[in-house]
Amino acid sequence: MLQTTATLIERHTLGASQELRLQAPALARSLTPGQAVLVKTGWGVEPYLRRTFYPAGLDDESLTLRVPPGGDWGHAWLRTVAIGAQLDCLGPVGIGYSVPAGARNLLCLAEEDPATVAGSGCSAWALLPAIAAAADGGRGKPSAVTFAMEAPSARDLIPAHRLPAAVEYHTAVRARRAAGHPGGGTTSEGVAQFLPELLPWADVVLAAGSLAFYSSLATAVRAARYELTRGFAQALYPAAFLCGVGACQACVADLTTGRRRICQRGPVLDLLDVAG
Amino acid sequence: MTIELAPHNKHSLTLAAPLLAGSGAVGYADAWPPGVTATMFGAIVTPPVSWRPRRGHPPGRLAETPAGFVLAAGDHNPGFRRVLDDHLPDWRRLTVPIIMALAGSAVEDWDRIAAHVEDEPAIAGLELHVAEGVRPVDVANWVGAVRRATTLPLLVKLPSAQAPALASPAVQAGADALVIGAAPLAAGLTAASARIEGPLAGPAVFPVTLRAVAAVAGLGLPAPIIAAGGIGRLADAELCFDAGAVAVQIRSLLWVDPATAVQLAAGLAGR
Repeated sequence: MLQTTATLIERHTLGASQELRLQAPALARSLTPGQAVLVKTGWGVEPYLRRTFYPAGLDDESLTLRVPPGGDWGHAWLRTVAIGAQLDCLGPVGIGYSVPAGARNLLCLAEEDPATVAGSGCSAWALLPAIAAAADGGRGKPSAVTFAMEAPSARDLIPAHRLPAAVEYHTAVRARRAAGHPGGGTTSEGVAQFLPELLPWADVVLAAGSLAFYSSLATAVRAARYELTRGFAQALYPAAFLCGVGACQACVADLTTGRRRICQRGPVLDLLDVAG
Repeated sequence: MTIELAPHNKHSLTLAAPLLAGSGAVGYADAWPPGVTATMFGAIVTPPVSWRPRRGHPPGRLAETPAGFVLAAGDHNPGFRRVLDDHLPDWRRLTVPIIMALAGSAVEDWDRIAAHVEDEPAIAGLELHVAEGVRPVDVANWVGAVRRATTLPLLVKLPSAQAPALASPAVQAGADALVIGAAPLAAGLTAASARIEGPLAGPAVFPVTLRAVAAVAGLGLPAPIIAAGGIGRLADAELCFDAGAVAVQIRSLLWVDPATAVQLAAGLAGR
């Protein structure tokens, strides 16, 4: 892990969210997709805790963080900080996604859940660097990459132009309506509608979303492939971190293997450990 | 500069630096923030340990507060024997003293753990965590029981709010040094909007620590004082020394801003 100063070099507003591109070569080169970065989001001791981000873009020189909408004071500070500002970053935290050598068909599945994003930084966008790396056509890389994503509204979906051209992209709007409203209590099907076709074909699955999403995914894998085997699916656990090195025990979660520190075992875990 | 934390104990507990890694700040000396090394510290205090494993507080342990946070770890630890099995070999290789903290939620374990580590040279002392709300007579009984079980140097960490009332019974019962103090209990909301209770940490605690250190120092007890709680800058440490502390512990600073902790260590080394 490094503690480094990153320079804010670009800001893009996308709807209610912002994307910040930070120049931090040493940090960017040490990150793998799915690993977290902890960013200090204030000049003094307010807010005191760093905010957890899973980069939405990575290259040799920079990383891109997506600041979600909402009232969090750390995120609000980031939305106002000037281009050229120096941001204090800690990272990488934990273990990221890993596409095994020889995997030919990669399936990426994501849910953009605003509550999960606000609480942990875990977003569908965290899959973008993994998708970009897998779809670059390099030797030993998967020959086919498919991405299926669900979100509460069409504007929350990742635009197709942000994906490499070779990626097959399926989208679904999953509207959860509150009881008492017209259509209340109903839920559209989300990416579940694609899974019976996509899962039998996949060699490995990378997923990002809420715990409920992972539970549904585990059920779908068992239905489509008879059993969920270790190594088939990786899930980004929605955890926010304090120290990121395993000392504070703030990020513990109850996995199928017991109560574990996510910064040490994850944040990318085998789906069996999350929803076995 | 060396600091003696147990001047009246046959073992002594000599620090090469006035900065300690507070309880669990670097895990069991196995969780190092970037840039932080063992040589920065005069001693390293382990997370609180109990006889049997403790699962601690359920997940959802962290709540942000103004200038700090509430962390409800609930004395999560794998149990005393597992800790020794896993970490003693590394502790034996360290040149920095290891102080084993004993969980305040398991005072019934203190004397038998103390007896077991009596002859382990890698453990330089014990830090007893006294919980908030206890009576002076309880502190005297618990510390006395540990004192009879071991000759190791004993640090007793007292809750800041009660430290002036508990300090004298602790020293009379055999404490070699006092850690002032355990952070006040507080409540906050987790990211999932669940209400949790636990010790408050971060700069918000420092004024409470400073007042308690000065109050205990004013008692003139024959035990060195280590300040703990919210120390985030060299100026904070200097205020603690001026108030009567001989050393300081840091924890949350190491987690949130390790580079500043390194600067603090360098500043203290140059005093």
